[in-house]
Amino acid sequence: MLACAGGASAQEAGDIREAYVTTQLDNAVDVVDLAAGTVVARIPVDGAPAGIALSPDRRTAYVTRPEGHGLAVIDLSSRTVVETVALPGGPLGIGVNPVSGAVYVADWYGARIFVLTPSPQGLTRTGEIAVGKSPSGIAVTPDGSTILVANREANSVSVVDVATAQEVAAVPVGEHPFGLTLSADGHRAYTANVVSDDVSAIDVRARREVGRVRTGKRPYVVALAQGRGFVTDQYSRTVSVFDLATLKPVGSLDVGDHPEGIATARDGRTLYVANWGDNTLSVIDAGTMTVTGEIKTGDGPRAFGDFLR
Amino acid sequence: MRRYTLAAVAALATVSFAAQAHGPSRQKVSETIEINAPADKVWTAVGDFQNAGWIPVVEKTEGKGGNEVKATRTLTLKGGATVEEELAKYDAAKKTYMYRINKVDVKVLPVNDYSSTIEVEEEGGKTKVTWRGAFYRGYMNNDPPVELNDESSKKAVQGLYKAGLENLKSKVEQGS
Repeated sequence: MLACAGGASAQEAGDIREAYVTTQLDNAVDVVDLAAGTVVARIPVDGAPAGIALSPDRRTAYVTRPEGHGLAVIDLSSRTVVETVALPGGPLGIGVNPVSGAVYVADWYGARIFVLTPSPQGLTRTGEIAVGKSPSGIAVTPDGSTILVANREANSVSVVDVATAQEVAAVPVGEHPFGLTLSADGHRAYTANVVSDDVSAIDVRARREVGRVRTGKRPYVVALAQGRGFVTDQYSRTVSVFDLATLKPVGSLDVGDHPEGIATARDGRTLYVANWGDNTLSVIDAGTMTVTGEIKTGDGPRAFGDFLR
Repeated sequence: MRRYTLAAVAALATVSFAAQAHGPSRQKVSETIEINAPADKVWTAVGDFQNAGWIPVVEKTEGKGGNEVKATRTLTLKGGATVEEELAKYDAAKKTYMYRINKVDVKVLPVNDYSSTIEVEEEGGKTKVTWRGAFYRGYMNNDPPVELNDESSKKAVQGLYKAGLENLKSKVEQGS
């Protein structure tokens, strides 16, 4: 592994670059070696796994199982499920507090998020926080102080104060917000409005929507790279691209059938898109705005959340 | 338990789709058939969005907009139930189209947010027809009753596709 070709530094070569793709119809999480562009392991996870988030040290993956009504905890070095946690409702969206390591899970059928706290003994459910109806995407600010939740049926984004475990604002957005993505500084949030076919940009500190940009049909999740937003459009089989500063569309890329999860790799330049219908990941170069590759996965890849390291 | 299930189904049927969350896991179904006829002939039988007569359960197709994107059709099924559909993509050169169901009673077809693609491909003098669907189960809440769960919804769509493709094959091959 360290005896690498191509003159890369030992540290770079030693870095693990993998994707963890929830393949919902196969009841598994596929481990993708991003350099090789292939699935190198398959971890069985029952309950129609959908959402995923990684621990702050990037050694553990938390995967929601909406039909198993719970969560699976995966140790990424051994690639095994080390714990499952039962949860009521429909656990789907998930986020991790980058400071405390707390895990937040949205109840798709309810109006709450569950709070789970890690310890050496395992993950324990320690509380829940009321939000809007059908909470979906979750993101946490880098300082660990604020949780943002897209509430699909409430057409709002909840701003939750971590210290008091209370919703402090519900920001009205477009129709049926689903994915939720924060800028690196945590000041801007972007949510994809599935029904109104647009993305809402939110000023997190001012707790208000500051703009909206058109997308393709049924936008799902937003990823950020190179000063642009990249949005999966489920019905259009495209990724729409917009400028983060002007909130104007700048183009669109053809990807696979029903694109869902999308995320930016650590290089800040490469994006990976899970195509639910085609069982592939599309690889996108954000700089040139082109599709540069395709990787086969298991059946029904969702990768809804933070799925790259 | 049985009474609860039926009541839940009846309640759902009166609620519009857009106001409800769907199930957490979209399903997919794909069926293929080989037809011993040229692709052009098969396309003539299956490629007109305004004539779904090749699907055995369909008694009547009424619609507007021809084969343009956003064209609509209402299928009246044997027995009287109706299905409202809308054309989303149409490519005569590639012999493929995609459409969505805008409205159907889950008792007729247990699906939500249903989209479907038909593809006709020439293969060595014969023709391969693929019918694919993507949809959520009929029951839009947690812990679905058996008749509206993921498996039952998939089975219902598979049955529809198999019957449709077999009927298409016999129609085209027998020239009826």
